[in-house]
Amino acid sequence: MNGVSEEALPSQPSVLPAKRARATTSTFSRVTRYTAVRLVTLFVTVVIGVYLTILIANMGGYVDQIRRGEIRESVGMLVMTDPTFKTMPTEMRQQRIEELVRLQEKRLGLDRPFLVRSFNYLSNALSLNLGRAQNMTSDSGSKQVRLILLERLPPTLVLFATSNLILFFVEIFMALYLSRRYGSFLDKIIVALAPTSSAPAWFYGIFLILIFAALLKILPFGGMVDAPPPTEPLAYALSLLKHLILPVLALAISTIFLSVYTWRTFFLIYSSEDYVEMAKAKGLTSREIERRYVLRPTLPTIITTFALNLITLWTGAPILETVFNWPGLGRTLFRAVGLYETSVIVGSTVIFAYLLAITVFLLDFIYALVDPRVKIGESGRP
Amino acid sequence: MTEDRLLRVQDLVLHFRTTQGVVQAVDGVSFELERHEAVVIIGESGCGKSSLARAILRLLPRNVHAYSGKVYLNGTDVMSLDEEQFRREVRWVKMSLVPQAAMNALNPVLRVGDQVAEPTMVHLKVDKQQALQQARKMFEHVGVPVDFLNRYAFELSGGMRQRVALAMALVTAPDLVILDEPTSALDVLTQANIFNLLKRLKRELATGFVLITHDIATSSELADHVAVMYAGQIVELNDAARFFSEPLHPYSQKLMASVPRLRADIEPDFITGQPPSLINLPAGCRFAPRCPSRFAKCDQDPPLFGQGRRQVRCWLYE
Repeated sequence: MNGVSEEALPSQPSVLPAKRARATTSTFSRVTRYTAVRLVTLFVTVVIGVYLTILIANMGGYVDQIRRGEIRESVGMLVMTDPTFKTMPTEMRQQRIEELVRLQEKRLGLDRPFLVRSFNYLSNALSLNLGRAQNMTSDSGSKQVRLILLERLPPTLVLFATSNLILFFVEIFMALYLSRRYGSFLDKIIVALAPTSSAPAWFYGIFLILIFAALLKILPFGGMVDAPPPTEPLAYALSLLKHLILPVLALAISTIFLSVYTWRTFFLIYSSEDYVEMAKAKGLTSREIERRYVLRPTLPTIITTFALNLITLWTGAPILETVFNWPGLGRTLFRAVGLYETSVIVGSTVIFAYLLAITVFLLDFIYALVDPRVKIGESGRP
Repeated sequence: MTEDRLLRVQDLVLHFRTTQGVVQAVDGVSFELERHEAVVIIGESGCGKSSLARAILRLLPRNVHAYSGKVYLNGTDVMSLDEEQFRREVRWVKMSLVPQAAMNALNPVLRVGDQVAEPTMVHLKVDKQQALQQARKMFEHVGVPVDFLNRYAFELSGGMRQRVALAMALVTAPDLVILDEPTSALDVLTQANIFNLLKRLKRELATGFVLITHDIATSSELADHVAVMYAGQIVELNDAARFFSEPLHPYSQKLMASVPRLRADIEPDFITGQPPSLINLPAGCRFAPRCPSRFAKCDQDPPLFGQGRRQVRCWLYE
């Protein structure tokens, strides 16, 4: 056993630089190839997702029947009430009705089969040519789907950016705190309260409105600002803040306990790694251990959750916004569903699909930045 | 007299609470160690060796049931220090650890050089450049190429990782290094390399080593003293030279007989049965159920007989 000399060891590094050099020359082509493959697969996913949405939002073409019925009814009403048609013979009037219906259907493209049009919709949607709505108008009176969505974006951003950002960081820090005090009284309370997240935010919203608006009368029932909106910026901000309290609270109650519980368990698992124990043995302070030995290795997971959290802003929360009468994207979507407004539904979906695809694409690169073990496009990875 | 001892462990107890009951992992362990010396703690898996290391290092899991006894380092009672004092004055300043599996003992997302430099920065309050310089010196010392400072743990082989762990343990020049089965995850050649390195370090440094292992053959090269652990207790303390030629305790004898010999034509022996569960320990001598030389007296708990460097927990030596 003693025969093995240590001189045998330094031969190792001389092999490695050559290997490294080869690796760097191919890095560019590897990353390019990976990027191309990744973009194509993500795009295919988006196409499939959007097409499915088009099929579903149109109920596989059944919405066309509804549209046709509506057209026939409105044309019938028009002809019925128009005095110039009164004197016409019945056949002629019938002919006229058929003619008008045909024209209307042609105008809306209903004369062509749904399957053909679905691909038209698809290409329009993918090129973000969102078109015009039929039954909905934007707040400023435009029929453009783009405007209908964009004008509703700021309220949703205000509500969800506020709550998601606050909640996310509160959750992470509470979870870290609890993972340090695993088994403490506070920990047990949070674990016991975790099932509260089985009820959605709007459910708590109803009770909050009941208590703070109806009974205590200290906070508004809903809406985003007082009516009429205050003209002074500060007063406007205060009014906005007042209206934010209940929806943010509802969102917080419905998510915080379960999230803290999940993150705390996650951190507990990662704090029992050997290298965390080593860090403790090395005499690092608990803050250093937490930062470099718990948070740092788990950064990819945290970033992923945060990024996905951020883009869910786009869909808003339809029922919560409806309960709180919040003029956001969620409520617009809710109304669009009720009005069979497929253009708005598809428009919203395609934007979300693109946001999701871009996020997923960027995350792959972020992983490679924050985790040295991840190499983009290396064998073993897609 | 005791003041110049490097390490004196007295009646150390570490019990864990589990759903099945209390695990008496370390049950009244005492031993001493001086500078330039190495004590090897030998025992089967599950006899409490690693728990002993944890107890000395105060790396306690959450389910500690009992933790008591005295640990003197250079005459100071470190058990009486509070957590913050212990962190600041003892951890890695006075004693460090080479862990069992060096793969998991290194942070996967920090460069190994930074990890080796870390204790110097924390305890000696030097800046990063100086700490890295020190780490570089340590790498040279343990035979790791210095450009490995910029690598991550997953880019190193098992042997190199163990060397890095060793460099990390020595970087602050602690008085005591505890090696918890430092080679058990390595192949035989790498084991031999690490042991040669350890022998060299022992000669060069004024450090005491506590080597925890179940590999009797390789540890014999390093040991000055041997402590045999069985079921949470030390059953024999002996000088290495005398232990390897004539072990006292029947368990030690069996243990030594189980080691294959290269130059003697002896069949390796084995010990029948299994070590007792640390939850339900047998009354009397804990080895009695497996002991070939059991007699009536073994129903009572044996104390340690003998004194100083040679002690044995067996009624045969009463």
